[in-house]
Amino acid sequence: MFIRMAAAFATAAMVAWPATCKETVRISGWGGSEVAIVNGLLTNVLADKLSTAGISVTYEPVDGDFSQFILNGLSAGTAPDLFYTDIFWARSIFSAGQAMPINSDVSDFSPNLIEAFTYKGTLLSLPKDFNTLAVHFNKDIFDDAGVAYPSDDDTWATLEQKLVAVHKALPEVDGLCIVPEYARFGAFALATGWQPFDVDGKTVFDDDFRRAFEFYTGLVKSGAAIMAADVGQSWSGGCLASERAAIAIEGAWILGVLRDSAPNLNFGTVRMPRDPISGKRGNIVFTVGWTVNAGSRVAKAAQMVAELLTSEEAQQWVLEQGLALPSRKGLVDNVWLNGDQPEQKSSRVVFDGLSDDHVMPYFFGDIGGSWMQPINAAINSVMLGETDVNSALAAAQARVDQLHAK
Amino acid sequence: MPQVRKSEEISGWLFMLPFAISMMLFFVYAIVRTAYFSVTDFDLFQAPTFVGLSNYLTLLSDPLFLTALGNTIGFSLVVTTAQTILALLLSVLVNQAVRGKGFVRTVFYLPCIMSSAAMTLIFLWLFQRDGLITGFVQFLVNYRLYVLLFLACLAFAQGALVLNASRKYDGISNVDPFFLLIALTVAIGATILSAFWQPLPIYEETFLISWLNTQQRFLFMPTTLWSVAMMNIFTTMPTLMLLFLAGLQSIPHALYEAAEIDGANAFQRFRYITVPALRPVTFAVVTMGIIGTLQMFDQVAILGDAAPLSSRITLAYYIFENAFPAGASSRIGVASAAALILGALTIAVVYVQKIIGVKERLD
Repeated sequence: MFIRMAAAFATAAMVAWPATCKETVRISGWGGSEVAIVNGLLTNVLADKLSTAGISVTYEPVDGDFSQFILNGLSAGTAPDLFYTDIFWARSIFSAGQAMPINSDVSDFSPNLIEAFTYKGTLLSLPKDFNTLAVHFNKDIFDDAGVAYPSDDDTWATLEQKLVAVHKALPEVDGLCIVPEYARFGAFALATGWQPFDVDGKTVFDDDFRRAFEFYTGLVKSGAAIMAADVGQSWSGGCLASERAAIAIEGAWILGVLRDSAPNLNFGTVRMPRDPISGKRGNIVFTVGWTVNAGSRVAKAAQMVAELLTSEEAQQWVLEQGLALPSRKGLVDNVWLNGDQPEQKSSRVVFDGLSDDHVMPYFFGDIGGSWMQPINAAINSVMLGETDVNSALAAAQARVDQLHAK
Repeated sequence: MPQVRKSEEISGWLFMLPFAISMMLFFVYAIVRTAYFSVTDFDLFQAPTFVGLSNYLTLLSDPLFLTALGNTIGFSLVVTTAQTILALLLSVLVNQAVRGKGFVRTVFYLPCIMSSAAMTLIFLWLFQRDGLITGFVQFLVNYRLYVLLFLACLAFAQGALVLNASRKYDGISNVDPFFLLIALTVAIGATILSAFWQPLPIYEETFLISWLNTQQRFLFMPTTLWSVAMMNIFTTMPTLMLLFLAGLQSIPHALYEAAEIDGANAFQRFRYITVPALRPVTFAVVTMGIIGTLQMFDQVAILGDAAPLSSRITLAYYIFENAFPAGASSRIGVASAAALILGALTIAVVYVQKIIGVKERLD
């Protein structure tokens, strides 16, 4: 009798296991607006699935330097089970063996995003979303100036002509607030066919690079642009939102800012201009993935959470809230993405940027962000008129050679 | 008797124990670990591998480290000197204020209670190319003749007032504060009137001065670091002023009275009584200044991409850059070696200043 009762109790306990003994997965990402996105996903979209799987999720947003938080946590053994990994610093996590390989079916994800998170042949992060650069413009400014809107057919030269014409017609408005950073200039350099790393893994600032460099730094001199810092801004989006500039070269992250600080701005978005000589477009992909901590005790559950958070259903919800672009190519035909609202059109252009001619993820191998510093310094010094192109590029080449020699 | 001494000794050690434990944990242990890491290759994850002195050799061959070293020494020299002199002068000024002494002290101390991050952000705004500081420089340059006129009026009015009074009374100071107030009012009035009448030309020159976002150098330091130095002096000077104020309160007033009877003027009293009497405080202020400036980090870190790296990098920031490089694996070995060099440099500079700089004791 006692044995029967014990067996019945054990059976009941096993049946009730998923509901009563949930595995808790700690996940971590950025703070700010991301908190609403992840919590929205967990409560509005994935709650039932997580409950059925017997998984409870706690989200730990981080408002400070997220990469530092993760590196410290991983080295101390306190990192969450699942966390955001920006492509910019993904290599430092992957090369240290801190990421669990992803075994999911990833055939529906954009191939270049999968490639970006693949290290030594193994996929180590599931792409969450991405961004590319596009030209966002203020239609009213172009109308007032009597200048044609930027278009998908623009080359560097035609876009520059339009920006100069806008500034001429409306002297209080500048064409573009330019920033001396590879994060924007890189798209122009890539359009020429220049490769950040040649076949030997070295960086050479060749004639193609020089052409893009001269164009970008020359925008200020030609009257097409002003340095963002000169008008109290740190990025081109700030100038577009305040109607100080006619265009901004940014990703879809600008949409949230425009929604909040310039809700009535009459804007449009077109693809990055082509290099007039190569006839190609360049672009940079900014992407973030979900990575399972290799030291997680609930790695299987964490991987399942990552799959759910990047599922088509989840990405569709995020997309339809206008919060981020999906990493799944299947969603390219999504109704929302094909709508006629400015935000929808803008998102579609940014989505299309992924298939530009020369696209590179925003990451620089083992050198990391230091790789960009000589380029940024060269752009800055030429724009400020502190040095000429020859001297700036020679100094940048010398510094980047030192970085490679380390 | 030996029993009492023993129990006192035990009590002493017990009082010391919490401090000793924290010192052992957070200082001695940390230094030993840092010294160990400095001779290893370590990325926070893989086990450290012994590499001998190669991290130190890497540092010596890294131009960025040498830049950081030069910047740090220059910055320390400028800021420590300026903040000590200005804090001393400010404390003497505040100490002399008869009315509203508390208010004046509070006003001068205000920059110190603001967080370093908030102050840096305010200065970032002030230091924009077309910001307020550029505007002030532009005003001075464009109205240079009126500025000269103001200074001439001020000197003339003060001189006239002092000359007139010295014919009737003895011991009138050239910088008598009451006369200075009248002279200032006269000079401001005359300058404003002449600006309306415009007998002198006003220049129309437009500047965009790069205070932060530049690779230019001025003398031995990048322009960016000169700007950071101005910011640092502004924020640290009030604390040092308080230390000097405390020192000033302890100087017997009889000394000044005796000197005054002997015919010593204000400058002589300052030079031969105040400065020597404040020597122990000055030693503490200079030592704190050297340590604080050699370890300068927060304001440079907050500047971020607002300034080129080589124009703002200090040794402390170099250590951070290697410990947490953007987008790359940690270089803890190199960071540890640099941290030890910074520690050794700090001890050496403080020791050198102790020997040849401000003396700790009164003569």
